[in-house]
Formats: sequence, C-alpha cells, structure tokens
Amino acid sequence: MERTLLCEIVTPERIVYTNEVRMVVAPTIDGEIGIMPLHAPLVSALKAGEVRVMYGDDKVEWFAISGGYVQVHEDKVIVLADQAVTASQIDVERARQALEEARQRMGGSDGGGGDEADACIADLNWCEVQLNVAGKRSS
Amino acid sequence: MANLRDIKKRIGSVESTRQITRTMEMVATAKIKKAQEKIEAARPYALSMMEVLGNVARYAKGAEHPLLETHDKRRRVVVITVTSDRGLAGAFNSNILRLTENIIRDESAAGAQVDVIAVGKKAASYFTYRGIEPLASYRDISDKPTFADAKSIAAHVIGAYSAEEIDAVYVAFNRFKNVAEQKPEVHQLLPIERRVVDEAAEGSDVRAEYTFEPNPEAVLELLLPTYVETLVFRALMESVASEHGARRTAMKSATDNASEMITTLTRSYNRARQASITNEIAEIVGGAAAQED
Repeated sequence: MERTLLCEIVTPERIVYTNEVRMVVAPTIDGEIGIMPLHAPLVSALKAGEVRVMYGDDKVEWFAISGGYVQVHEDKVIVLADQAVTASQIDVERARQALEEARQRMGGSDGGGGDEADACIADLNWCEVQLNVAGKRSS
Repeated sequence: MANLRDIKKRIGSVESTRQITRTMEMVATAKIKKAQEKIEAARPYALSMMEVLGNVARYAKGAEHPLLETHDKRRRVVVITVTSDRGLAGAFNSNILRLTENIIRDESAAGAQVDVIAVGKKAASYFTYRGIEPLASYRDISDKPTFADAKSIAAHVIGAYSAEEIDAVYVAFNRFKNVAEQKPEVHQLLPIERRVVDEAAEGSDVRAEYTFEPNPEAVLELLLPTYVETLVFRALMESVASEHGARRTAMKSATDNASEMITTLTRSYNRARQASITNEIAEIVGGAAAQED
C-alpha cells in the first residue's frame, strides 16, 4: 500500500478535517508548499489562501484558511488556522456581503488607525479567499 | 390572624417563582454541557500550538520579542474583565468585579494608570456607572464567544504593548473547575512569561531537525500574538461555562428556598383554615346552646 500522511486541519474552535492523505498543499508566506510522505520536519507560517488535500486515488478536497501555521513531523501534517472551511460549506452569499462591508469600512477609514486597517485588510482577504475557493468544489 | 385568601395568593406567587427558577436551572444545566464541549474542542488547537511554539523556541533561543519583554516601569496597566451579559448567577460577576477593583487599587497605589476592557454587559455598566470609561466594551458575546472575538480583544493590547504604550495586561475571569465550582482568577497576559516559552521548548522532540519558513524568528513573531489570542479565547470560554455553572447553583438554591417557603406557607394556611373552622363550630355550638335554654 502507498505511504500516506495524517493530515489535520484545526481551528481554535474545532477540528475541521482529519484524514490519511497522499499530499497536502498549503499557502506559505513565500509561496505554495506541497507536502508528501517522508517530508522533513517543518514549521511554516501560512497566509490566507487555499489548502488542497489529495487523498485516495484522485480525490481532492479544498479548504479556505485565513492564515496560520503548518507543522510537519513524522508523516503528520497539522494545519493550524484561525479560520478554516471546506469548499462545500462556504456560504458564498454571506462571504460576498462581508466582502462588501469590509470594502466600505476600508473606504470609510482614511488609512489611519493601524490596527483597525490591518483587521480590515485581513477580513477582506479572508472573504476573497473564501469566494475563490468556493468556486472549486471538491471532486 | 393571617387572611386565608392572602396566604393562598402568596403560595401561588411563590409557586410560579419556583417554576421559573427551576426552568432556569435546567436550562443552565444543558448549557454547561455545551460550554464544556466547546472548551474540549479548543484543546487540540492549543496543544498543537504549544508544540509548534516549543519547536520554534528551541531554534530561536534567546530571541527578542516585544511581547516577551518586561518593561522597567509600570505606567499603564490594562485589565480585561470577563463577566456575563445576564445576572441571576449568584456572586459570579461581583467576584470578578471585586478582583478587578483590587487590581485597580493596588496598581493605582503603585503609581500606574489602570484601564479596563469590559467583556459582558455587567462589567460595562458597572464601570461606566462608576465613571470609569472602559477602553473597549464587548456585549452579547458571552453566549457564544468566537475566536474572532478573542482576536479583536487581544488586538487592543498586543499592538499597544509592543509600542510600549502599556506595561502589563491582566485578564480576570471565572475559571471553570467543575460543574459546582468556579474560581475567580487573574492571569497575566502580557508580558508573556519566558517560562512559558522555555517550558514549551523543553517539551519538544529534540531529535527532529526542523526547517522553518521563512525562519524561526519570523514564525515566533507571528506565533506569540496567536498565543495571546488563544489565552483570551480560553478565558472567554471558561467564563461562559462558569456562568452557567454559577447560575445553576444560584437557581437551585432559589428553587429549594421557594419549596421551603411553600411548605411553611401551606402549614400556616392549614392552621388558619383549621382555626376558622374551629371558630365556626364554636359559634354554631354556642348558638345552638343559646337556643336550647
């Protein structure tokens, strides 16, 4: 049997996904990283983006995450994300609304108030990522 | 002699009060369970994060980070006070508010200015009423605190601490010991104690040679704020579970008291009824005796 790795996607609120998989692709700060079995131990920061999980023969599962960390150790991949949803559970309507709201807040603030603006940008990114991933339904 | 009808009325009203407190008790019992499950659900993330923190700390030993640094002077201190939105939970909120008052008194005596971040309507109205304007107030999250709430609360202090605008941050909340017991506690949130990082590093697997992207220091820099956020999140969830626990206890004793009151009232009702019957018989007998003569 082919060697697999255990993939866990965890948020502070719950465990979103756990499965034996062939490969995990995650969005690191510098670009995408693909993790396969026997990968060297790794800790990496992740930005908001999509996580792809390949398992079984040709199955792919898509997730949207809002940034976090990934740790690889002995064929175990743990993705720690502030927020994470599978593609099929993304509420497109709500994400779109939230995106609109975030845009308005962005327009409203004049670029001042550092923390506030950062939070805004993070919200915006998160909404965009969700909408992006929602288009790619799991096969 | 107490009026029969009055007593009956009181029994009725105490009975309906008991109905309400009993229902609240049952609702609280159900909610404790849910809140406990949420705390459990947060554990895997917290554990994994400590593991990552440990690995990073091992490689970034002695790394400087603003959140790890103790400031020499305490000019400004922030207390995050976690209370509930609703009352009727015994001493749940007053314990926390008293703890906060103690910190304010002590720190003020030491020459520091103290600001509060009020979580829950009870804290917000308490401080506003006393003329202390909270730095920020959070209402209506005590039912279902989310990680986003914790993040937003933490954001108030993380940036300010790094910029050395504040010199210490505490969080006061009720820790959930078990269903019947809550313990009001104050934890230091910032600076993060070195001990935490060092202990995490000791627990990590030294045989594994980790690579870090982009590098250990950068990961640590991102990780420490997340660590603070999870602490806040944890405090929020513990507080919710404690709130329901405290309410259950309070409502249980209210229900018991009501039952006791009903027993006493019923007894005096029966006595009063018996007295009036005896009275009537005495009158009838007296009247009959008078006619026989």
